[in-house]
Amino acid sequence: MSNTRKVTIKAFRFNAETDYLPYYKHYEMEVGKDELILDLLNRIKWEHDGSFSYRRSCRHGICGACAIKVNGKATLACKQNAMELLDLFDNELVFEPSSKKRVVKDMIIDKKDFWDKHAAVQPYVVADIDPHPKHETKQSIEEFNKFLDSDLCIQCGACHYSCPSLEANPDYLGPAALNAAYRFTIDPRDHAGRERLELTAEPGIGVWDCVKCFECAEACPKDINPIEKITKLHNMQFEQDVAVPNVATRHAEGFVRSIKKHGFLDEADIVVYSEGYLGMYKHLKTAMKMMKAGKIHWNDGLPWVDNVPKSKNLDEIQKLIKISQTHKL
Amino acid sequence: MNTNSDVKIYEYDAVIVGAGLAGLAAAKELTAAGKKTAVITKLHPLRSHSGAAQGGINAALGKDDSTELHEFDTVKGSDYLADQDAVELMCTKAPETIRWAERMGTVFSRDEEGDIAIRPFGGQSKPRACYAKDRTGLALLQAIYEQAFREGIEVFDEWYAGDMIYKDGKVSGVVAYDIRNSKVAVFNAKVTMFATGGNGRLYRFNSNAHANTGDSLSIVARHGLPLEDMEFVQFHPSGLGGSGILISEAARGEGGRLYNSLGERFMEKYAPNAMELASRDVVSRAIMEEVRQGRGVGKDGQSVNIDLTHLDPQIILTRLPELRELAIAFQGQDMLKEPIHISATAHYSMGGIPTNINCQVRKSPTELVEGFYAAGECACVSVHGANRLGANSVLEALLFGRHAGENMIKALDEGASLRKATAADADTFVEELTRIKTSNGTERVPELRTELQNGMTADAGVFRTKESLDRQLKLINSLLKRFKNIRIDDKSKTFNTDLQEAIELGHMLESAKFVVEGALVREESRGGHYREDFPTRDDKKFLKHTYAYMDKDYNVSIEWGDVVLGKFEPKERTY
Repeated sequence: MSNTRKVTIKAFRFNAETDYLPYYKHYEMEVGKDELILDLLNRIKWEHDGSFSYRRSCRHGICGACAIKVNGKATLACKQNAMELLDLFDNELVFEPSSKKRVVKDMIIDKKDFWDKHAAVQPYVVADIDPHPKHETKQSIEEFNKFLDSDLCIQCGACHYSCPSLEANPDYLGPAALNAAYRFTIDPRDHAGRERLELTAEPGIGVWDCVKCFECAEACPKDINPIEKITKLHNMQFEQDVAVPNVATRHAEGFVRSIKKHGFLDEADIVVYSEGYLGMYKHLKTAMKMMKAGKIHWNDGLPWVDNVPKSKNLDEIQKLIKISQTHKL
Repeated sequence: MNTNSDVKIYEYDAVIVGAGLAGLAAAKELTAAGKKTAVITKLHPLRSHSGAAQGGINAALGKDDSTELHEFDTVKGSDYLADQDAVELMCTKAPETIRWAERMGTVFSRDEEGDIAIRPFGGQSKPRACYAKDRTGLALLQAIYEQAFREGIEVFDEWYAGDMIYKDGKVSGVVAYDIRNSKVAVFNAKVTMFATGGNGRLYRFNSNAHANTGDSLSIVARHGLPLEDMEFVQFHPSGLGGSGILISEAARGEGGRLYNSLGERFMEKYAPNAMELASRDVVSRAIMEEVRQGRGVGKDGQSVNIDLTHLDPQIILTRLPELRELAIAFQGQDMLKEPIHISATAHYSMGGIPTNINCQVRKSPTELVEGFYAAGECACVSVHGANRLGANSVLEALLFGRHAGENMIKALDEGASLRKATAADADTFVEELTRIKTSNGTERVPELRTELQNGMTADAGVFRTKESLDRQLKLINSLLKRFKNIRIDDKSKTFNTDLQEAIELGHMLESAKFVVEGALVREESRGGHYREDFPTRDDKKFLKHTYAYMDKDYNVSIEWGDVVLGKFEPKERTY
């Protein structure tokens, strides 16, 4: 039995200097069981075409330079065994940059927006730093554990370029920057937590634009789970009284309000509660569709009609909310 | 050349090449002191290889530890070749430096008291490696970058520095090009610093990043300046069997044991007291000796086993999580359940650009270059001598990087002046770029590089003889000739990484020559340099630093410099 496999790689090729449109070039090679995606990138460059370009450095998943997409899947090339993907994708691999619209050359993209977003959250401990300290700051293991590996982010951009919210709203900070906001806000040495919470509470920019799709968690090669940090930021905004009443916070409150009342989500009430009757008007089209699908009833929006079914164990649900709720809404 | 009109000239107080721990620490201090400073890096600062350090950073913080003990261990580890004044400075300032890093935001692991946690490491009489799980370098690099960024440092990332301006004993900046568009610029400066890291890529089997091609070493050497102790290459005992990727010394520090194919815990033979925690040169030789005698495991019997299965799984999961993942990703072995195949891997260059204790570059054993500083792995302030102790390299980089910055500030305050550069200063580098781009020969860069790397691992590796070194020298000389006859595929100006790899190969060939020439003249065995034909240390003849100079035809000549001795008399070294 042979230890290698014949593999076809379709690589995205584009040079902003010379090409009008991108194209895909095919490379065939025998791939062994210990080879990584980075080895295949290197082999394209070293054995087939020296002009093939990509970023890389450390070779072991710690510098974050070599994030690309393989068959649409966010991949850190130096940490991903090739065989695993060959099994998944039937011996045919497609190499593409993390974001095609940002491509400069082949796998290399312009990451300016990524770094700009990162810079926006004050990605450093804000404190007066003693240049000649006699002792370290005390930090309990409990405090250390609160970082939740958010400090392990290697800025590879895999989550950033996988986030559909960011794709739709270029002003949104995105999962990587929000993870950084969490990492520094949770740091007991830092003094700018409130500013970061205020920034990340801003509608259109901050955590409220996360649509909870978990793409970032899926994409992260270091298993950092950015959405967990985004959720923590949500909570911290309420806990530290940064959250102000607006459509986003009222939307969040609306969930609790509805569950408390019915044990079920009242789709219509949440719209009324978060956006008011005037706001409701702009959702009429969606409402019509939902009515057709049977998700809401025509009179759901009327405050004097309560036609939402009640959960059987509503009292227990209400008790649970009471126990788990740390902050008054 | 008629391209000079395209060359932009920037003026700075200070220019630093390299943005790892050393470069960033200097840049932060300079910027904070109000000096106009540029940092040039061929990567992004956060991609620097400092971030790959795993196990720890040394400081005598333990209750029954002392800086003097740290000094002794370092000097003994160096096989007495380290300069003891520099070692004293490093060990004395280590606790403050680490606490400074902590204050800046480094996420160190903590002990029950809430202080920075420490673990045992090879060659050290007490636990003193402060750590952040098994990603200490990353935690440090992030913190220093974050605070340097906060300070407002000016970074030219993805710029490749290929030459320096050196005339009449003074350096006045560097020449570099923007990798994005190939535009060449002169960075004219009052003081210049190199902090470009090591040259581990010389070896086929190595733990280093692709970027570690040792560019600045040959940049310096091309101007007739010396390199020091280049024959001392550290082979780390635990590289993953197939790839050479590092499995930190922390794996042994936390209790990992080494076994050969017969299931013998072979370190009993080589270092009965320290066992797996003897210094790196000792353990690496023991591993390779077992392999040579046919007691290896894994592919072609080229590895030995490191076993951690007797440890509490929680120790692995909380203190070595990255290592576990690496062994799984690279060779499908889970250290919770089974031993891991490891082998000695080229890891670190003890030698480099010679500097005095203030990080000023030396022109000879007794003279200094004006306006020129170096720190970190590319430099040789000689705290590591012939063999570096684990967790001393990140310490050296951070501490001497900062120290260099402080000394550069002092030089600027004392009136270091700008010798105005002209576009003509870029000529040599522009010619090099043009020559490589237009060379229409028959040789290919990846093939020449592979030949160099295979040769270095086989003939200038853990075990060396006159015969093997002569063979490697012959190979390098022929590769230097063949290099003139290359052809690269990429002729574009945008992210021309093909061009960059060719320039880097030129640097690798030259610094390899220094390694081999140094190893040939040093007819003794000391630390990481082991001559089978001269298996003992010879203090009478070789308690000296090697200073090697290269002429235009790549001929290397050797001079000897004194070692700064001190409170620790050279003694036989046993573990």
